[in-house]
Amino acid sequence: MADAPIEIEFDNVSITLGATPVLRGLSLRVRRGETKVLLGESGAGKSVALKLAIGLLRPDQGRVIVLGEPVSTMPEAALYRLRRRIGIVFQESALFDSLTVRDNVAYRLDEEHAMDLEAIDARVRACLAAVELEEVMDKFPAELSGGMQRRVAIARALATEPEIMLFDSPTGGLDPITATNIMEQIIRLRDVNHVTSLLVTHRLQDAAMLAAYRWDAEHNALRPADGMSAHTSFLVLHDQHAVFDGSAAELHASTQPYVQHFLQI
Amino acid sequence: MLDSGQEETDLATAAPPRGEEEIQWGFIGWLKGQLEGLQAYSLLTGRTFRNVLARPFYGGDTMLQMDSLGVGSLPIVLMTGFFTGAVMALQLSATLAQYGQIQRTGQLVALSIVRELGPVLTGLMVAARNAAGMASELGSMVVTEQVDAMRALGTDPIKKLATPRLLATISMTFSLTIIADLCGLIGGYLYAILALRLDGRQYWYTAMQALGATDMAQGLLKPVVFGIIIATVACYFGMSARGGTRGVGRATTQAVVSASVLIILTDFLLSRVLIGFFGA
Repeated sequence: MADAPIEIEFDNVSITLGATPVLRGLSLRVRRGETKVLLGESGAGKSVALKLAIGLLRPDQGRVIVLGEPVSTMPEAALYRLRRRIGIVFQESALFDSLTVRDNVAYRLDEEHAMDLEAIDARVRACLAAVELEEVMDKFPAELSGGMQRRVAIARALATEPEIMLFDSPTGGLDPITATNIMEQIIRLRDVNHVTSLLVTHRLQDAAMLAAYRWDAEHNALRPADGMSAHTSFLVLHDQHAVFDGSAAELHASTQPYVQHFLQI
Repeated sequence: MLDSGQEETDLATAAPPRGEEEIQWGFIGWLKGQLEGLQAYSLLTGRTFRNVLARPFYGGDTMLQMDSLGVGSLPIVLMTGFFTGAVMALQLSATLAQYGQIQRTGQLVALSIVRELGPVLTGLMVAARNAAGMASELGSMVVTEQVDAMRALGTDPIKKLATPRLLATISMTFSLTIIADLCGLIGGYLYAILALRLDGRQYWYTAMQALGATDMAQGLLKPVVFGIIIATVACYFGMSARGGTRGVGRATTQAVVSASVLIILTDFLLSRVLIGFFGA
Protein backbone atom coordinates (compact mmCIF):
# COMPACT_ATOMS: atom_id res chain seq x y z
CA MET A 1 0.00 0.00 0.00
CA ALA A 2 2.82 2.38 0.94
CA ASP A 3 4.31 1.95 -2.57
CA ALA A 4 1.09 2.76 -4.40
CA PRO A 5 1.02 6.13 -6.18
CA ILE A 6 -0.69 9.04 -4.45
CA GLU A 7 -4.01 9.82 -6.15
CA ILE A 8 -5.37 12.57 -3.87
CA GLU A 9 -3.10 15.09 -2.19
CA PHE A 10 -3.94 18.16 -0.11
CA ASP A 11 -0.92 20.30 0.65
CA ASN A 12 -1.43 22.89 3.40
CA VAL A 13 -4.94 23.73 2.18
CA SER A 14 -6.92 26.59 3.75
CA ILE A 15 -10.31 27.93 2.78
CA THR A 16 -12.65 30.57 4.18
CA LEU A 17 -16.32 30.66 3.16
CA GLY A 18 -17.90 34.07 3.65
CA ALA A 19 -16.19 35.33 6.79
CA THR A 20 -15.82 31.89 8.35
CA PRO A 21 -12.55 29.96 8.15
CA VAL A 22 -13.47 26.36 7.36
CA LEU A 23 -10.14 24.59 6.87
CA ARG A 24 -6.67 25.72 7.92
CA GLY A 25 -3.49 24.07 6.72
CA LEU A 26 -5.05 20.71 5.87
CA SER A 27 -2.63 18.19 4.38
CA LEU A 28 -3.57 14.64 3.44
CA ARG A 29 -2.60 11.92 1.00
CA VAL A 30 -4.68 9.05 -0.35
CA ARG A 31 -2.91 6.28 -2.25
CA ARG A 32 -4.34 4.18 -5.08
CA GLY A 33 -6.83 1.64 -3.77
CA GLU A 34 -6.96 3.24 -0.32
CA THR A 35 -10.10 4.47 1.45
CA LYS A 36 -9.48 7.54 3.60
CA VAL A 37 -12.23 8.24 6.13
CA LEU A 38 -12.65 11.88 7.19
CA LEU A 39 -14.12 11.96 10.68
CA GLY A 40 -15.30 14.94 12.67
CA GLU A 41 -18.32 16.73 14.05
CA SER A 42 -20.89 18.44 11.83
CA GLY A 43 -19.42 21.71 10.56
CA ALA A 44 -15.82 20.52 10.84
CA GLY A 45 -15.23 21.11 7.12
CA LYS A 46 -15.43 17.50 5.93
CA SER A 47 -17.84 18.16 3.05
CA VAL A 48 -15.82 21.22 2.04
CA ALA A 49 -12.74 18.98 1.79
CA LEU A 50 -14.63 16.71 -0.64
CA LYS A 51 -15.73 19.67 -2.76
CA LEU A 52 -12.12 20.87 -2.84
CA ALA A 53 -11.02 17.43 -4.04
CA ILE A 54 -13.33 17.58 -7.07
CA GLY A 55 -12.77 21.27 -7.75
CA LEU A 56 -16.25 22.51 -6.85
CA LEU A 57 -14.48 24.87 -4.43
CA ARG A 58 -11.02 26.35 -4.72
CA PRO A 59 -8.69 26.83 -1.75
CA ASP A 60 -7.54 30.27 -0.65
CA GLN A 61 -4.15 28.78 0.07
CA GLY A 62 -2.35 25.51 -0.62
CA ARG A 63 -2.60 22.93 -3.41
CA VAL A 64 -5.00 20.11 -4.23
CA ILE A 65 -3.63 17.49 -6.62
CA VAL A 66 -5.90 14.70 -7.85
CA LEU A 67 -4.73 11.99 -10.28
CA GLY A 68 -1.66 14.12 -10.89
CA GLU A 69 -3.68 17.17 -11.94
CA PRO A 70 -3.53 20.49 -10.04
CA VAL A 71 -7.25 20.74 -9.27
CA SER A 72 -6.87 23.96 -7.30
CA THR A 73 -5.50 25.90 -10.27
CA MET A 74 -7.04 24.16 -13.30
CA PRO A 75 -9.48 26.07 -15.51
CA GLU A 76 -13.09 24.92 -15.17
CA ALA A 77 -13.14 23.43 -18.70
CA ALA A 78 -10.20 21.15 -17.88
CA LEU A 79 -11.84 20.21 -14.60
CA TYR A 80 -14.91 18.92 -16.47
CA ARG A 81 -12.66 16.39 -18.25
CA LEU A 82 -10.91 15.35 -15.03
CA ARG A 83 -14.23 14.86 -13.25
CA ARG A 84 -15.04 12.03 -15.65
CA ARG A 85 -12.50 10.01 -13.67
CA ILE A 86 -14.05 10.94 -10.31
CA GLY A 87 -17.41 9.92 -8.88
CA ILE A 88 -19.11 11.77 -6.05
CA VAL A 89 -22.08 10.88 -3.86
CA PHE A 90 -23.57 13.97 -2.25
CA GLN A 91 -24.94 14.11 1.28
CA GLU A 92 -28.54 14.50 0.10
CA SER A 93 -28.01 12.43 -3.07
CA ALA A 94 -28.56 15.48 -5.35
CA LEU A 95 -30.39 13.42 -7.97
CA PHE A 96 -31.94 15.42 -10.82
CA ASP A 97 -35.57 15.45 -9.74
CA SER A 98 -36.97 15.99 -13.25
CA LEU A 99 -35.15 12.93 -14.66
CA THR A 100 -35.95 9.25 -14.17
CA VAL A 101 -33.55 6.96 -12.34
CA ARG A 102 -32.34 5.64 -15.72
CA ASP A 103 -31.64 9.15 -16.99
CA ASN A 104 -29.93 10.13 -13.73
CA VAL A 105 -27.57 7.17 -13.87
CA ALA A 106 -26.98 7.59 -17.60
CA TYR A 107 -26.59 11.38 -17.34
CA ARG A 108 -22.86 11.57 -17.99
CA LEU A 109 -22.96 8.87 -20.67
CA ASP A 110 -25.85 10.61 -22.47
CA GLU A 111 -23.97 13.92 -22.33
CA GLU A 112 -20.81 12.45 -23.85
CA HIS A 113 -22.54 10.77 -26.84
CA ALA A 114 -19.63 8.31 -26.83
CA MET A 115 -21.74 5.16 -26.47
CA ASP A 116 -24.82 3.95 -28.33
CA LEU A 117 -28.15 3.77 -26.55
CA GLU A 118 -28.05 -0.01 -26.01
CA ALA A 119 -24.59 0.14 -24.46
CA ILE A 120 -25.69 2.98 -22.19
CA ASP A 121 -28.76 1.03 -21.08
CA ALA A 122 -26.61 -2.03 -20.38
CA ARG A 123 -24.21 0.08 -18.28
CA VAL A 124 -27.10 1.66 -16.38
CA ARG A 125 -28.56 -1.78 -15.62
CA ALA A 126 -25.18 -3.03 -14.42
CA CYS A 127 -24.70 0.00 -12.14
CA LEU A 128 -28.20 -0.33 -10.71
CA ALA A 129 -27.70 -4.08 -10.24
CA ALA A 130 -24.55 -3.31 -8.24
CA VAL A 131 -26.70 -1.39 -5.76
CA GLU A 132 -29.61 -3.88 -6.09
CA LEU A 133 -32.02 -1.40 -7.62
CA GLU A 134 -32.66 -2.60 -11.16
CA GLU A 135 -36.42 -2.49 -10.72
CA VAL A 136 -36.64 1.30 -10.23
CA MET A 137 -35.20 2.35 -13.62
CA ASP A 138 -38.29 4.18 -14.78
CA LYS A 139 -39.19 5.85 -11.50
CA PHE A 140 -38.48 9.45 -10.54
CA PRO A 141 -36.30 10.22 -7.49
CA ALA A 142 -39.30 11.57 -5.55
CA GLU A 143 -40.90 8.10 -5.75
CA LEU A 144 -37.93 6.48 -3.94
CA SER A 145 -37.05 6.27 -0.25
CA GLY A 146 -34.02 8.17 1.10
CA GLY A 147 -31.92 4.99 1.15
CA MET A 148 -32.87 4.09 -2.42
CA GLN A 149 -32.01 7.62 -3.56
CA ARG A 150 -28.58 7.29 -1.94
CA ARG A 151 -28.02 3.97 -3.74
CA VAL A 152 -29.09 5.50 -7.07
CA ALA A 153 -26.59 8.31 -6.39
CA ILE A 154 -23.88 5.66 -5.92
CA ALA A 155 -24.95 4.00 -9.19
CA ARG A 156 -24.80 7.38 -10.96
CA ALA A 157 -21.30 7.99 -9.62
CA LEU A 158 -20.21 4.51 -10.79
CA ALA A 159 -21.57 4.88 -14.33
CA THR A 160 -18.33 6.22 -15.80
CA GLU A 161 -16.25 3.63 -13.90
CA PRO A 162 -14.32 6.30 -11.97
CA GLU A 163 -10.86 5.80 -10.55
CA ILE A 164 -11.75 7.82 -7.46
CA MET A 165 -14.97 7.90 -5.42
CA LEU A 166 -15.91 10.66 -3.01
CA PHE A 167 -18.67 9.87 -0.49
CA ASP A 168 -20.27 12.66 1.54
CA SER A 169 -22.00 11.10 4.56
CA PRO A 170 -23.40 8.23 2.48
CA THR A 171 -25.31 6.76 5.43
CA GLY A 172 -26.44 10.00 7.08
CA GLY A 173 -30.10 9.94 8.10
CA LEU A 174 -30.67 6.33 7.03
CA ASP A 175 -31.98 3.38 9.05
CA PRO A 176 -29.32 0.88 10.26
CA ILE A 177 -30.19 -1.81 7.70
CA THR A 178 -29.98 0.54 4.71
CA ALA A 179 -26.82 2.15 6.15
CA THR A 180 -25.18 -1.28 6.48
CA ASN A 181 -26.21 -2.13 2.92
CA ILE A 182 -24.59 1.05 1.61
CA MET A 183 -21.40 0.45 3.60
CA GLU A 184 -21.27 -3.04 2.07
CA GLN A 185 -21.32 -1.49 -1.41
CA ILE A 186 -18.47 0.84 -0.42
CA ILE A 187 -16.39 -2.03 1.00
CA ARG A 188 -17.04 -4.02 -2.18
CA LEU A 189 -15.82 -1.08 -4.29
CA ARG A 190 -12.68 -0.90 -2.16
CA ASP A 191 -11.87 -4.61 -2.12
CA VAL A 192 -13.16 -5.78 -5.50
CA ASN A 193 -12.80 -2.76 -7.76
CA HIS A 194 -9.85 -1.27 -5.80
CA VAL A 195 -11.34 2.20 -6.18
CA THR A 196 -9.56 5.00 -4.30
CA SER A 197 -12.06 6.67 -1.98
CA LEU A 198 -12.42 9.65 0.29
CA LEU A 199 -15.35 9.10 2.64
CA VAL A 200 -16.80 11.72 4.93
CA THR A 201 -18.79 10.66 7.96
CA HIS A 202 -19.47 11.58 11.55
CA ARG A 203 -20.68 8.01 12.31
CA LEU A 204 -18.01 5.97 14.06
CA GLN A 205 -19.86 2.73 13.27
CA ASP A 206 -19.28 3.33 9.53
CA ALA A 207 -15.58 3.90 10.15
CA ALA A 208 -15.38 0.79 12.32
CA MET A 209 -17.14 -1.30 9.67
CA LEU A 210 -14.73 -0.12 6.95
CA ALA A 211 -11.77 -1.02 9.15
CA ALA A 212 -13.04 -4.35 10.44
CA TYR A 213 -14.62 -5.96 7.37
CA ARG A 214 -13.55 -7.06 3.91
CA TRP A 215 -15.49 -8.18 0.85
CA ASP A 216 -15.15 -11.87 0.01
CA ALA A 217 -15.41 -11.82 -3.79
CA GLU A 218 -15.45 -15.63 -4.00
CA HIS A 219 -18.60 -15.95 -1.92
CA ASN A 220 -19.87 -12.46 -2.70
CA ALA A 221 -20.32 -11.67 0.97
CA LEU A 222 -18.98 -9.46 3.74
CA ARG A 223 -16.46 -11.13 6.07
CA PRO A 224 -14.55 -9.90 9.13
CA ALA A 225 -11.09 -8.74 8.10
CA ASP A 226 -8.04 -10.47 9.53
CA GLY A 227 -7.05 -7.68 11.88
CA MET A 228 -7.67 -4.14 10.59
CA SER A 229 -7.99 -3.38 6.89
CA ALA A 230 -4.70 -2.04 5.53
CA HIS A 231 -6.66 -0.29 2.78
CA THR A 232 -8.43 2.07 5.16
CA SER A 233 -7.00 5.03 7.00
CA PHE A 234 -8.53 7.83 9.05
CA LEU A 235 -8.22 11.57 9.36
CA VAL A 236 -9.95 13.44 12.17
CA LEU A 237 -10.88 17.10 11.63
CA HIS A 238 -11.39 19.46 14.52
CA ASP A 239 -11.28 23.22 14.83
CA GLN A 240 -10.60 23.66 11.08
CA HIS A 241 -7.54 21.41 10.95
CA ALA A 242 -6.50 17.76 11.07
CA VAL A 243 -5.79 16.50 14.59
CA PHE A 244 -5.13 12.89 13.54
CA ASP A 245 -4.07 11.06 10.37
CA GLY A 246 -3.28 7.37 10.50
CA SER A 247 -4.46 3.76 10.51
CA ALA A 248 -7.32 2.24 12.52
CA ALA A 249 -4.90 0.81 15.07
CA GLU A 250 -3.20 4.21 15.49
CA LEU A 251 -6.62 5.84 15.84
CA HIS A 252 -7.53 3.55 18.73
CA ALA A 253 -4.16 4.11 20.36
CA SER A 254 -4.18 7.88 19.87
CA THR A 255 -3.73 10.02 22.97
CA GLN A 256 -4.82 13.20 21.23
CA PRO A 257 -7.50 14.65 23.56
CA TYR A 258 -10.07 15.44 20.85
CA VAL A 259 -9.65 12.01 19.21
CA GLN A 260 -10.17 10.32 22.58
CA HIS A 261 -13.21 12.50 23.20
CA PHE A 262 -14.58 11.76 19.70
CA LEU A 263 -14.11 8.01 20.10
CA GLN A 264 -15.87 8.01 23.45
CA ILE A 265 -18.99 9.84 22.23
CA MET B 1 -7.92 44.16 30.00
CA LEU B 2 -8.81 47.83 30.28
CA ASP B 3 -9.80 49.43 33.54
CA SER B 4 -13.02 51.41 33.52
CA GLY B 5 -11.26 54.80 33.19
CA GLN B 6 -9.20 53.67 30.17
CA GLU B 7 -12.31 52.22 28.51
CA GLU B 8 -14.21 55.48 29.07
CA THR B 9 -11.38 57.54 27.48
CA ASP B 10 -11.25 55.30 24.40
CA LEU B 11 -14.97 55.42 23.86
CA ALA B 12 -15.14 59.20 24.36
CA THR B 13 -12.23 60.24 22.15
CA ALA B 14 -10.86 57.64 19.77
CA ALA B 15 -13.71 55.53 18.55
CA PRO B 16 -16.70 57.01 16.71
CA PRO B 17 -20.08 56.48 18.34
CA ARG B 18 -21.05 52.84 17.88
CA GLY B 19 -24.31 53.53 16.05
CA GLU B 20 -22.65 55.87 13.55
CA GLU B 21 -19.88 53.35 12.87
CA GLU B 22 -22.40 50.60 12.28
CA ILE B 23 -24.39 52.80 9.91
CA GLN B 24 -21.20 53.74 8.03
CA TRP B 25 -19.97 50.14 7.72
CA GLY B 26 -23.48 48.97 7.03
CA PHE B 27 -23.71 51.29 4.01
CA ILE B 28 -20.24 50.34 2.75
CA GLY B 29 -21.09 46.67 3.19
CA TRP B 30 -24.37 47.16 1.31
CA LEU B 31 -22.58 49.02 -1.51
CA LYS B 32 -19.91 46.32 -1.70
CA GLY B 33 -22.61 43.66 -1.85
CA GLN B 34 -24.41 45.48 -4.67
CA LEU B 35 -21.18 45.88 -6.68
CA GLU B 36 -20.31 42.22 -6.18
CA GLY B 37 -23.81 41.30 -7.28
CA LEU B 38 -23.44 43.45 -10.40
CA GLN B 39 -20.09 41.82 -11.15
CA ALA B 40 -21.54 38.32 -10.71
CA TYR B 41 -24.52 39.22 -12.92
CA SER B 42 -22.21 40.58 -15.63
CA LEU B 43 -20.01 37.48 -15.54
CA LEU B 44 -23.02 35.17 -15.72
CA THR B 45 -24.49 37.14 -18.63
CA GLY B 46 -21.15 37.12 -20.46
CA ARG B 47 -20.72 33.36 -20.01
CA THR B 48 -24.33 32.71 -21.04
CA PHE B 49 -23.81 34.59 -24.31
CA ARG B 50 -20.39 33.06 -24.93
CA ASN B 51 -21.90 29.58 -24.66
CA VAL B 52 -24.41 30.28 -27.43
CA LEU B 53 -21.78 29.37 -30.02
CA ALA B 54 -19.90 26.76 -27.94
CA ARG B 55 -20.37 23.00 -28.18
CA PRO B 56 -22.25 21.00 -27.01
CA PHE B 57 -25.51 22.59 -28.13
CA TYR B 58 -28.50 21.81 -25.98
CA GLY B 59 -31.11 22.03 -28.73
CA GLY B 60 -33.54 19.73 -26.92
CA ASP B 61 -33.37 21.79 -23.73
CA THR B 62 -33.87 24.99 -25.75
CA MET B 63 -36.93 23.56 -27.49
CA LEU B 64 -38.34 22.40 -24.15
CA GLN B 65 -37.91 25.89 -22.71
CA MET B 66 -39.44 27.47 -25.83
CA ASP B 67 -42.47 25.23 -25.46
CA SER B 68 -42.83 25.94 -21.74
CA LEU B 69 -42.26 29.67 -22.16
CA GLY B 70 -43.93 30.33 -25.50
CA VAL B 71 -46.93 28.02 -25.53
CA GLY B 72 -47.42 28.41 -21.79
CA SER B 73 -47.48 32.21 -22.00
CA LEU B 74 -49.67 32.35 -25.09
CA PRO B 75 -53.09 32.59 -23.36
CA ILE B 76 -52.11 35.48 -21.08
CA VAL B 77 -50.36 37.31 -23.90
CA LEU B 78 -53.35 36.86 -26.21
CA MET B 79 -55.74 38.23 -23.59
CA THR B 80 -53.45 41.07 -22.54
CA GLY B 81 -52.85 42.15 -26.14
CA PHE B 82 -56.51 41.91 -27.14
CA PHE B 83 -57.94 43.88 -24.22
CA THR B 84 -55.14 46.46 -24.32
CA GLY B 85 -56.01 47.15 -27.97
CA ALA B 86 -59.70 47.38 -27.12
CA VAL B 87 -59.16 49.71 -24.18
CA MET B 88 -56.81 51.89 -26.23
CA ALA B 89 -59.52 52.24 -28.89
CA LEU B 90 -62.04 53.10 -26.18
CA GLN B 91 -59.87 55.74 -24.49
CA LEU B 92 -58.36 57.29 -27.62
CA SER B 93 -61.63 57.45 -29.53
CA ALA B 94 -63.17 59.57 -26.76
CA THR B 95 -60.33 62.10 -27.03
CA LEU B 96 -60.22 62.01 -30.83
CA ALA B 97 -63.99 62.56 -31.01
CA GLN B 98 -63.51 65.95 -29.31
CA TYR B 99 -61.40 67.05 -32.29
CA GLY B 100 -63.57 65.34 -34.90
CA GLN B 101 -60.77 62.87 -35.69
CA ILE B 102 -62.37 59.63 -34.55
CA GLN B 103 -61.47 57.99 -37.88
CA ARG B 104 -57.83 58.14 -36.79
CA THR B 105 -58.48 55.63 -33.97
CA GLY B 106 -56.72 52.83 -35.88
CA GLN B 107 -53.65 54.98 -36.39
CA LEU B 108 -53.20 55.78 -32.70
CA VAL B 109 -54.03 52.27 -31.54
CA ALA B 110 -51.45 50.84 -33.95
CA LEU B 111 -48.72 53.27 -32.92
CA SER B 112 -49.23 52.87 -29.18
CA ILE B 113 -49.51 49.08 -29.40
CA VAL B 114 -46.60 48.40 -31.75
CA ARG B 115 -44.19 50.96 -30.30
CA GLU B 116 -44.89 50.65 -26.59
CA LEU B 117 -47.67 48.61 -25.11
CA GLY B 118 -47.17 45.39 -27.07
CA PRO B 119 -43.48 44.95 -26.18
CA VAL B 120 -43.74 46.30 -22.62
CA LEU B 121 -46.84 44.40 -21.58
CA THR B 122 -45.62 41.19 -23.20
CA GLY B 123 -42.27 41.67 -21.46
CA LEU B 124 -43.98 42.19 -18.11
CA MET B 125 -46.27 39.19 -18.60
CA VAL B 126 -43.36 36.94 -19.62
CA ALA B 127 -41.34 38.27 -16.67
CA ALA B 128 -44.13 37.65 -14.19
CA ARG B 129 -44.78 34.13 -15.40
CA ASN B 130 -41.39 32.89 -16.53
CA ALA B 131 -38.81 34.80 -14.50
CA ALA B 132 -40.53 33.40 -11.42
CA GLY B 133 -40.56 29.90 -12.87
CA MET B 134 -36.93 30.02 -13.98
CA ALA B 135 -35.62 31.52 -10.73
CA SER B 136 -37.50 29.04 -8.55
CA GLU B 137 -36.49 26.04 -10.68
CA LEU B 138 -32.82 27.00 -10.75
CA GLY B 139 -32.89 28.08 -7.09
CA SER B 140 -34.30 24.69 -6.08
CA MET B 141 -31.57 22.97 -8.08
CA VAL B 142 -28.92 25.05 -6.34
CA VAL B 143 -30.13 24.47 -2.78
CA THR B 144 -30.54 20.71 -3.35
CA GLU B 145 -26.98 20.54 -4.76
CA GLN B 146 -28.24 19.48 -8.21
CA VAL B 147 -26.17 22.25 -9.82
CA ASP B 148 -23.07 21.03 -7.95
CA ALA B 149 -23.91 17.49 -9.07
CA MET B 150 -24.13 18.72 -12.65
CA ARG B 151 -20.68 20.30 -12.37
CA ALA B 152 -19.34 17.15 -10.72
CA LEU B 153 -20.71 15.12 -13.64
CA GLY B 154 -18.77 17.29 -16.06
CA THR B 155 -21.52 19.59 -17.33
CA ASP B 156 -21.26 23.37 -17.32
CA PRO B 157 -24.52 24.44 -15.63
CA ILE B 158 -24.48 27.80 -17.37
CA LYS B 159 -24.30 26.10 -20.76
CA LYS B 160 -26.92 23.50 -19.84
CA LEU B 161 -29.34 25.67 -17.85
CA ALA B 162 -28.83 29.37 -18.61
CA THR B 163 -28.02 29.45 -22.33
CA PRO B 164 -31.10 27.46 -23.46
CA ARG B 165 -33.28 29.71 -21.29
CA LEU B 166 -31.70 32.82 -22.79
CA LEU B 167 -32.27 31.65 -26.38
CA ALA B 168 -35.81 30.48 -25.62
CA THR B 169 -36.74 33.71 -23.82
CA ILE B 170 -35.38 35.98 -26.56
CA SER B 171 -37.09 34.09 -29.39
CA MET B 172 -40.36 33.61 -27.53
CA THR B 173 -40.62 37.17 -26.20
CA PHE B 174 -40.02 38.37 -29.77
CA SER B 175 -42.68 36.04 -31.20
CA LEU B 176 -45.17 36.67 -28.40
CA THR B 177 -44.80 40.43 -28.88
CA ILE B 178 -45.75 40.12 -32.56
CA ILE B 179 -48.78 38.02 -31.55
CA ALA B 180 -49.69 40.52 -28.81
CA ASP B 181 -49.42 43.39 -31.31
CA LEU B 182 -51.71 41.57 -33.72
CA CYS B 183 -54.21 40.79 -30.96
CA GLY B 184 -54.10 44.41 -29.82
CA LEU B 185 -54.90 45.62 -33.33
CA ILE B 186 -57.75 43.10 -33.58
CA GLY B 187 -59.06 44.19 -30.16
CA GLY B 188 -59.01 47.81 -31.28
CA TYR B 189 -60.61 46.87 -34.59
CA LEU B 190 -63.48 44.99 -32.95
CA TYR B 191 -64.17 47.86 -30.56
CA ALA B 192 -63.97 50.34 -33.45
CA ILE B 193 -66.49 48.51 -35.65
CA LEU B 194 -68.82 47.23 -32.94
CA ALA B 195 -68.92 50.10 -30.45
CA LEU B 196 -67.78 53.12 -32.45
CA ARG B 197 -69.45 52.02 -35.71
CA LEU B 198 -66.32 52.94 -37.67
CA ASP B 199 -65.53 51.51 -41.07
CA GLY B 200 -63.30 48.45 -40.65
CA ARG B 201 -61.32 49.06 -43.85
CA GLN B 202 -60.62 52.61 -42.77
CA TYR B 203 -59.38 51.34 -39.37
CA TRP B 204 -56.87 49.01 -41.00
CA TYR B 205 -55.90 51.54 -43.64
CA THR B 206 -55.07 54.26 -41.09
CA ALA B 207 -53.32 51.73 -38.85
CA MET B 208 -51.07 50.44 -41.63
CA GLN B 209 -50.42 53.94 -42.99
CA ALA B 210 -49.31 55.10 -39.54
CA LEU B 211 -46.78 52.33 -38.99
CA GLY B 212 -43.39 53.10 -40.47
CA ALA B 213 -40.13 51.17 -40.48
CA THR B 214 -38.90 53.02 -37.39
CA ASP B 215 -42.00 52.03 -35.43
CA MET B 216 -41.53 48.41 -36.45
CA ALA B 217 -37.83 48.59 -35.55
CA GLN B 218 -38.68 49.97 -32.10
CA GLY B 219 -41.38 47.40 -31.56
CA LEU B 220 -39.20 44.48 -32.58
CA LEU B 221 -35.93 45.53 -30.94
CA LYS B 222 -37.47 46.02 -27.51
CA PRO B 223 -38.66 42.41 -27.00
CA VAL B 224 -35.16 41.14 -27.83
CA VAL B 225 -33.68 43.34 -25.10
CA PHE B 226 -36.51 42.46 -22.69
CA GLY B 227 -35.92 38.75 -23.37
CA ILE B 228 -32.25 39.16 -22.47
CA ILE B 229 -33.21 40.99 -19.27
CA ILE B 230 -35.80 38.39 -18.22
CA ALA B 231 -33.57 35.36 -18.82
CA THR B 232 -30.34 36.73 -17.37
CA VAL B 233 -31.98 38.28 -14.30
CA ALA B 234 -33.96 35.09 -13.57
CA CYS B 235 -30.89 32.87 -14.05
CA TYR B 236 -28.75 35.16 -11.91
CA PHE B 237 -31.16 35.21 -8.97
CA GLY B 238 -31.94 31.50 -9.36
CA MET B 239 -28.30 30.46 -9.45
CA SER B 240 -27.35 32.68 -6.52
CA ALA B 241 -30.19 31.40 -4.29
CA ARG B 242 -29.01 30.46 -0.80
CA GLY B 243 -30.74 29.39 2.37
CA GLY B 244 -33.19 26.60 1.53
CA THR B 245 -36.78 27.09 0.49
CA ARG B 246 -36.94 30.58 1.99
CA GLY B 247 -33.94 31.55 -0.13
CA VAL B 248 -35.64 30.16 -3.24
CA GLY B 249 -38.77 32.21 -2.47
CA ARG B 250 -36.67 35.34 -1.99
CA ALA B 251 -34.78 34.71 -5.24
CA THR B 252 -38.08 34.26 -7.10
CA THR B 253 -39.50 37.53 -5.81
CA GLN B 254 -36.27 39.41 -6.53
CA ALA B 255 -36.16 38.00 -10.06
CA VAL B 256 -39.70 39.13 -10.91
CA VAL B 257 -39.35 42.56 -9.31
CA SER B 258 -35.92 43.26 -10.80
CA ALA B 259 -36.87 42.04 -14.28
CA SER B 260 -40.09 44.12 -14.26
CA VAL B 261 -38.38 47.30 -13.07
CA LEU B 262 -35.52 46.83 -15.54
CA ILE B 263 -37.99 46.32 -18.40
CA ILE B 264 -39.74 49.60 -17.66
CA LEU B 265 -36.47 51.46 -17.15
CA THR B 266 -34.92 49.99 -20.30
CA ASP B 267 -38.07 50.78 -22.27
CA PHE B 268 -37.68 54.44 -21.44
CA LEU B 269 -33.96 54.49 -22.26
CA LEU B 270 -34.43 52.52 -25.49
CA SER B 271 -37.31 54.75 -26.60
CA ARG B 272 -35.19 57.82 -25.95
CA VAL B 273 -32.22 56.43 -27.88
CA LEU B 274 -34.31 55.11 -30.78
CA ILE B 275 -36.29 58.32 -31.13
CA GLY B 276 -33.01 60.23 -31.06
CA PHE B 277 -31.65 57.89 -33.74
CA PHE B 278 -34.64 57.45 -36.03
CA GLY B 279 -36.67 60.52 -35.07
CA ALA B 280 -40.18 60.52 -33.60
